[in-house]
Amino acid sequence: MPVTLVDRLPLPNLKVYTAGSVSLLSIAVYYALSVTSDPNWRANSTLARQDLESGQGDQRPIPAQLQSNGTRNVSEQFVDVITFMMQEPLCMWTLINIAYCSLAVFGFAVQRLVFGPLRVAEAQRVKDKFWNYVFYKFIFVFGVINVQYMDEVLLWCSWFTLVGFLHLLGQLCKDRYEYLSSSPHTGGWAHVRLACLLAGILAAAAALLAAAAVWGLPAGRDTFAFMAAECVLVLVSALHVAARYALALCAADAAGAAAYYVALGFEAAALLAELALAAAQVAQCSMLVSMASLVLLLQLRHLLHELQARLRRHRLYTALATHMSRNYPMASKEEVEKNQDNCAICWEPMKEARKLPCSHLFHNSCLCQWVQQDASCPTCRRALAAGPAAPRQDAARHPNHLFHFDGSRYVSWLPSFSVEVTRVRPEAALAGAQLDAAAAQLQLMFPQHSRAALAADLARTRSADLTLDNILEGRLPPAAPPAPRPAPPPPRPAPARADASTMAAEPVDGVSRFSRCAAEREAQLRRRKQQLVEAARRRYLARLAPRS
Amino acid sequence: MAGSALRRLMAEYKQLTINPPEGIIAGPINEENFFEWEALITGPEGTCFEGGIFPAKLHFPPDYPLSPPKMEFTCEMFHPNIYADGRVCISILHAPGDDPMGYESSAERWSPVQSVEKILLSVVSMLAEPNDESGANVDAAKMWREDREQFNKIAEKLVRKTLSLE
Repeated sequence: MPVTLVDRLPLPNLKVYTAGSVSLLSIAVYYALSVTSDPNWRANSTLARQDLESGQGDQRPIPAQLQSNGTRNVSEQFVDVITFMMQEPLCMWTLINIAYCSLAVFGFAVQRLVFGPLRVAEAQRVKDKFWNYVFYKFIFVFGVINVQYMDEVLLWCSWFTLVGFLHLLGQLCKDRYEYLSSSPHTGGWAHVRLACLLAGILAAAAALLAAAAVWGLPAGRDTFAFMAAECVLVLVSALHVAARYALALCAADAAGAAAYYVALGFEAAALLAELALAAAQVAQCSMLVSMASLVLLLQLRHLLHELQARLRRHRLYTALATHMSRNYPMASKEEVEKNQDNCAICWEPMKEARKLPCSHLFHNSCLCQWVQQDASCPTCRRALAAGPAAPRQDAARHPNHLFHFDGSRYVSWLPSFSVEVTRVRPEAALAGAQLDAAAAQLQLMFPQHSRAALAADLARTRSADLTLDNILEGRLPPAAPPAPRPAPPPPRPAPARADASTMAAEPVDGVSRFSRCAAEREAQLRRRKQQLVEAARRRYLARLAPRS
Repeated sequence: MAGSALRRLMAEYKQLTINPPEGIIAGPINEENFFEWEALITGPEGTCFEGGIFPAKLHFPPDYPLSPPKMEFTCEMFHPNIYADGRVCISILHAPGDDPMGYESSAERWSPVQSVEKILLSVVSMLAEPNDESGANVDAAKMWREDREQFNKIAEKLVRKTLSLE
């Protein structure tokens, strides 16, 4: 791998590189100054002579007074120096070098300003993308359009440098957006800076597109198409991040249909643009049987595969969505209101909900994501029929059928999911004998509850675990007949066991408080941990003391 | 995706802070990364792990709660259901798809209805009653079955270690 080789090369850091470039530039400028201080430099310059021979040289007549007294004003001298440096190959290279150096410094400044220190994953992604980009552009310049002249190579290089720079920044924006949207407390400024950078990238990409139209069109439609495709790719990826920002600002459901179709649209657009670019390159290849066309064909194949996989995922998604909307109706308003509970998957309140056959309610998007993994009710684990009733007979013979798809083994972003079709228990059993048995069992544990109340709650929750939770958390009040214990059951069994011995040892400090400030929460958590350990140590030593 | 995981984790953290189960503390080590928690679990009373405070790490996947977190003890442990490197092997932490031991029914496995609190309570009961059929640590399982006294001695030593008394 060339990448690992490059990693081992002792590349200079940015400071050394900048210092080297600046000193090189100053040497070149000094040289240019010393040459151009001779009023007759144009005549001495080899390049100028060449230019004159080819008839493209500087046609400006050398002012006579300059030759006589040699006093020139600064701006003229500046123009002279620049002209000289553009003609002298060595000076030209230093100029190109300093251009790259300033781009690197600019990139570094943007990184410091917007992103701060890069996370390891981000740095790795940028590095991968960089080398991938360099590889394909090398193929493009020397394999596809087959440039012959040095200045053409230079032009293409500078063009790809600019576009590649935007690509890398766009990639960083995407990674950082994903990170920011998944971290709990990011200052507004981080988002503002990122949004500004995004706007900058969009503007720069648009400007490059305009430049491609101005300079690329005269050079031929193909050239323009190649240049424009690059800009379009940058634009699409930056717009995708911007669209996700907009969706987040509208407080749209991150797993909802709108977000899904936006993602689908942008991903498909990016893939199609890349595909078109690769296909155009293959068509442009001067020799059909060459290394370059082979590489490009491989890329084309990979892109086609990705597009197919994306479409397949989309078909799965739509099939699932229609299956859900057909089989699990949306709960009515009264049902949602009566439920008064949060969605058990995301723990957030429900305004609308989908109702499973076992009458458990969930958010549509939460349920949709879960059903992709496992076709069962998250609460009571009752298997959901994946299709029509046909699999039921099969299930009796093969109790469990497991289908596991590990997409990440093929392409890293493919999902992995597994669907398990479990034997469906007959519904009547749960309502009848099983329910009675469960109620009897619960009543043994909680004699203060009447069996009828337990059975009613069981019929409602359809899950012994949930009813147990309801009892433990006091949601199911004990029956009216006075129980031997006057107090209602404690919310949890555990504290009752430990109260006398431990309460004194554990100073309850701000436990029932949940601070709004992250630093305070962290400190509180540390304090609580320390208290727990200290209390345990004291208790342990106290227990040990009578023994020894 | 990650946004909803984050909101859910925040809600769980809040609940665990305001209304903590006895002897259990859990929360993100550093809130810069909300997907990495540390938990302290008190060894259940009346068992050989009584009195110990066992630290463990929880790693949450970005699609939590659709996928279960991973849990590993960061202290030395000797228990039939805990691997030598500290990973905890209980059915509630297994995604519905994978079944390393090949005998769990999906009803016992992960579902988004589970929570950090339920996981930690399950771990407490696992400490109290090891399942010596799942051989995450075969030596420990064997000793638990055959030489309980030796097992208790080792557990006692571990308890003292977690309290830094040794």
